[in-house]
Amino acid sequence: MDTQFLVSLTIILATFALYIGIAIYNKAKATSDFYVAGRGVPPIFNGMAIGADWMSAASFIGMAGTIMLLGYDGLAYIMGWTGGYLLLTFLLAPQLRKYGRYTVPEFIGDRFDSHTARVIAAVITIIISFTYSIGQLSGSGVVIGRLFEIDAKLGTMIGVVLIAFYAAFGGMKGITWTQVAQYIILIIAYLIPVIFMSLQITGNPMPWLSYGELVGKMGELDRELGISEYFAPFTNGTKWQFLALMFTLMAGTAGLPHVIVRFYTVSTMKAARWSGAWALLFIGLLYLSAPAYAAFSRFILMTKVAGSKIAELPAWTKTWVDTGKLQVADGNGDGILQWSELVISNDIVVMATPEIANLGVFVIGLVAAGAMAAALSTAGGLMIAISSSFAHDIYYRVMKPNATEKKRLSVARWSIVIATLFAGLIALNPPGAITQIVAWAFALATGTFFPALVLGVWWKRSNSKGVIAGLLVGLGVTLMYIFAAKYGGFTILGIIDTGAGVFGAAAAFLTNIIVSLSTEAPSQKIQEEVIDLRYPEQMVYKNGEVWMNDGTKQL
Amino acid sequence: MIDHHLDMHRNIIFHGGVSVKKIDKEVADRYFRERTRNIIIYFIVWFLVSFGVVFFAEPLSQYSINGFPLHYFMGAQGAVLTFIILLFVNAKLSDNVDKKYGIDESKNEQISSGKVFEH
Repeated sequence: MDTQFLVSLTIILATFALYIGIAIYNKAKATSDFYVAGRGVPPIFNGMAIGADWMSAASFIGMAGTIMLLGYDGLAYIMGWTGGYLLLTFLLAPQLRKYGRYTVPEFIGDRFDSHTARVIAAVITIIISFTYSIGQLSGSGVVIGRLFEIDAKLGTMIGVVLIAFYAAFGGMKGITWTQVAQYIILIIAYLIPVIFMSLQITGNPMPWLSYGELVGKMGELDRELGISEYFAPFTNGTKWQFLALMFTLMAGTAGLPHVIVRFYTVSTMKAARWSGAWALLFIGLLYLSAPAYAAFSRFILMTKVAGSKIAELPAWTKTWVDTGKLQVADGNGDGILQWSELVISNDIVVMATPEIANLGVFVIGLVAAGAMAAALSTAGGLMIAISSSFAHDIYYRVMKPNATEKKRLSVARWSIVIATLFAGLIALNPPGAITQIVAWAFALATGTFFPALVLGVWWKRSNSKGVIAGLLVGLGVTLMYIFAAKYGGFTILGIIDTGAGVFGAAAAFLTNIIVSLSTEAPSQKIQEEVIDLRYPEQMVYKNGEVWMNDGTKQL
Repeated sequence: MIDHHLDMHRNIIFHGGVSVKKIDKEVADRYFRERTRNIIIYFIVWFLVSFGVVFFAEPLSQYSINGFPLHYFMGAQGAVLTFIILLFVNAKLSDNVDKKYGIDESKNEQISSGKVFEH
């Protein structure tokens, strides 16, 4: 047991004690609290909780490494995962809040007055959240495995137990406040190494301002090495792939059930708008820092590690080479490690850079704790989305409308435990890299919920047959494109599996519109409810007239 | 249970008394148009700084800002900052529009908490 292990473990345990303490303190008592935290979370804290929910193992552990390896092309992730908040906050969140339901399937089921649509939406929610959570669990497995120097599979199992425990017993309220704490831990853990590296390399404590010149400098180094410049556009895929991936990530953001449900925890439409703004500010702090993290890591690897003698490589290389995520083979046998001989997996850049830059045991431990916070917080939110889809939308609204609150809560808890165990089982042998699995979840959300929700909120003529056909066609097209592109080598304009959402969304929009128009219009009541979403809570649309409620009447 | 939701609407209209008054549909439509126009403007800006810049990435790469090639700066910082600013501008301007049309947030809260779909 070395010092690093003890320090990392102490920091991780201390942060866990904090999260679990908050979860127990807020132990949910009623179903309303369990799902949406009693709708009283102030926008600024809700913004932080959305941030923690949002920034998963893929953002924290994988993104900077992806940008480092892809250069400019990796920035599709930065713009895609932030720009989606405009679609969400302008087009969907306040209106869904006014409609006043607990979950996305509940909105779809009630707006379209169809149990079939409700069940399909619940099943799609489970598919998306489940896919996403596999990535989180294997991410936590990597961190725990590295920490204890045990097999990543064993690490995944430890992560499964932790997630099942606090998601099942805390519910959303526990998670909301736990996630505020997790946001603070993860953002500190991310910023400290970037700031230290910026000081080390440029002498400027503001990484966002200082890494610009490094980007230019690395372009020169790349030219000397005869490889494409770091900042050159479209070196790893076509321009259309960049645009399609960016669109998929944006629209997926606006269609992810576990993110949307966060906007049900605010009190009003106004609070939903402010929550969206605060959320992106908090998320932006990490996303603005990730390209800096990538640039500093690449610069250190290029100038300090590449060019050194193989026999004299620092100790950190050994541990990471052992994980199989780093290769330092001396290809040409000259005893010196060249840049081209250094092969680093994008999943370890964030974790390994503090060691490479020699930032000290405390910072390295903090980064491990931050990575765990990112993986656990997102997994927790995903588990709530899965359990509410099953316990609320399928079990209570369709199967057993007379179930007691106690019974429903117990079904919700059991579905979390079962879903976590099942996802953990798949995570032991994941079907792809973490970022790839996460990208599929976004493509599925883009191809299904994004069109269904946008048309459901803004187009009163969209009906149950339209939405059912749209959801199924969108799901089918997205899945087929992912498989055809990944395994069959089929692409259109160079768009690969991660950009599949574009085709799914186009097909779903078209299907929904065509089927809706060729079948009967929704009832007058539903059409009025949709028009009502244009106005703030105080204005009520009814029978073609608008009424102003001054709120003195308790409804 | 779904009927409960309908009943709330009926209450507003039939048992309204002093608490509810009819307003001109024209006024409500103007509220909606004003909000929609702003949102369309935000989306045009959103599209230009993200999709627009990516589309013209090659010609833009010859300019530089703060040491970055311009297309890289926009992808890594410029677009994200624009998005954050747009969201806060929307939140603030929407509040102003609400105020202009006499919408009172505390009353929204009362109505909203009454409208929670209870089970």
